[in-house]
Amino acid sequence: MTDAVVEVRDLWHWYLRGTPLESVALKGASFTLGAGEVVGIMGHTGSGKSTLVQHFNGLLRPHRGSVRVFGNELGDRRVDPRPLRRRIGLVFQFPEQQLFDPTVADDIAFGPRKLGCDHAEVRRRVQGAMAAVGLPFETFKDRYTFGLSGGEMRKVALAGVLALEPEVLVLDEPTAGLDPRARRDLLAVLRGLHDERGTALVFVSHNMDEVAELVSRVDVLADGKTVLSGPVREVFRQEGRLRELGLGVPAATELAAALRERGVALGGDVLTIDDAVEAMWTSSSSPAA
Amino acid sequence: MDEFEFSRSVTVGQYIPGASFIHRMDARAKILAFMIIIAAVITTPSYIGNAIAFAAVLILVRLSGLPIGYLISGIRPILPILVVYTIFNFLFLGNYDPTGSAVLFRTPVSLGPWQFAFTVTDNSMRQTVQGVFRIFDLILLGSLLTLTTPITALSKAIEGLLAPFRRVKVPGHEIAMIIAIAYRFMPTVAEELERLMKAQASRGADFGRPGRLQFIQRTRQLVPVTVPLFVSAFRRAEDLIVAMESRCYVGGAGRSAVALDRFTSLEWGALAVSLAFTIALSRTPFPL
Repeated sequence: MTDAVVEVRDLWHWYLRGTPLESVALKGASFTLGAGEVVGIMGHTGSGKSTLVQHFNGLLRPHRGSVRVFGNELGDRRVDPRPLRRRIGLVFQFPEQQLFDPTVADDIAFGPRKLGCDHAEVRRRVQGAMAAVGLPFETFKDRYTFGLSGGEMRKVALAGVLALEPEVLVLDEPTAGLDPRARRDLLAVLRGLHDERGTALVFVSHNMDEVAELVSRVDVLADGKTVLSGPVREVFRQEGRLRELGLGVPAATELAAALRERGVALGGDVLTIDDAVEAMWTSSSSPAA
Repeated sequence: MDEFEFSRSVTVGQYIPGASFIHRMDARAKILAFMIIIAAVITTPSYIGNAIAFAAVLILVRLSGLPIGYLISGIRPILPILVVYTIFNFLFLGNYDPTGSAVLFRTPVSLGPWQFAFTVTDNSMRQTVQGVFRIFDLILLGSLLTLTTPITALSKAIEGLLAPFRRVKVPGHEIAMIIAIAYRFMPTVAEELERLMKAQASRGADFGRPGRLQFIQRTRQLVPVTVPLFVSAFRRAEDLIVAMESRCYVGGAGRSAVALDRFTSLEWGALAVSLAFTIALSRTPFPL
């Protein structure tokens, strides 16, 4: 792929390298993200997902292998990663823990101010970011940050990254610890960002249902290596392999498999609830057929 | 080195398993033996004595089987302070030499309204050099103790050593618990700091160097990191309190140990050797 935004080849990374506590986190991972794409990264705890995504904006440097981002080779120490951090927004796990300013709007304005935007531009970006995450500007701008609910705080944190207006948004387990409604809201926000602004998304998760719903292509990491990669439908067809890796398949896929086992003829790949409904209506065993 | 890897420089509070006799020794004996050696380190007045004490510390490090480079990396963060301290001691300590020893070097300096002098005397020179040796000795011994002792053993040892003072109302158990928790959370806080700096860098913060002496800029850069760091430290403390209370923790009153550890020949031997070393060092009249 020539228009790849992020291209990772055979990436190795060690933590605390050269100390007695050294541990290897990545052992030859690869990853590709095209412009405007939505890609998922799955893998169970300790598989290296977070380490991998921290290479995308140069927070970590490759110890072996190559990481090219917008055509810059980050293995080269002379490449300054800071300009890249404006184009690739990275949202950490539990991002609400990084809020620091007492008022919501000031916290979100941190990034744009650091970019040196003038007052009007800062205001425009903050309003835009708050609208994108579904926080009404007038109601929330002067609210006390640390008095918000967990879901609201996470939206503020996300807006803080969106205010940089990145071309790529990388989210590390963005829905962890949220209640079902906040989860749905957040997924809708992400889908909106992609559909309306064309932002490319990298979605790190071990929630199969969310991955199935949001992304088009998925990479699976295990023990620091990329073990599966491809369109989401193809990856979820390999249920046995995913279970071996300590992952699973979406609930709808599991349901479809159980029904097929009992002799219900369901066609196609079933990944989401909508797929399941569609498959059941068109099934030859359905009373509607 | 990676831009944000702080855990690397936090060598205190880590435990590195090993099989050396220093690892195997009862922590109470280890603390006592180290205190005896520290007594030798801080009382010996001569150059040769200091060099010998430093050599003894290096031998201990060697015997522990820990990589010396890793211990030295724990010194790196305080190196700037050490350098400034040494320079100031070297240039100014001689002005306040109460012993009246020979003046080796003296230069009056007048800087606008300030008039002062750089003075180096025989005694101030000695103290400056000793200062450097002693700080290295103390840091190496301190790291050696914590790197070779699991934190539970360390806190149990502190509690055990403070037990005789219970009669004068010293809360030994509580002190041990506070020290254990502080040590336990040092690496955690370092990790948290690392995570926060990365997160803020991802949203535009710049932790580059704004010039060596721009303290205000430097401090302002750190606000987005320190505020959440404190927020999470307090949250962690609250979680810990709830966890301890839900396990009915009431402090040390009425608690007893499952295993009663008695000193073996290893512990008595170590104490004897360190005591002999200290006495020998303080009694030997070194020529320099």
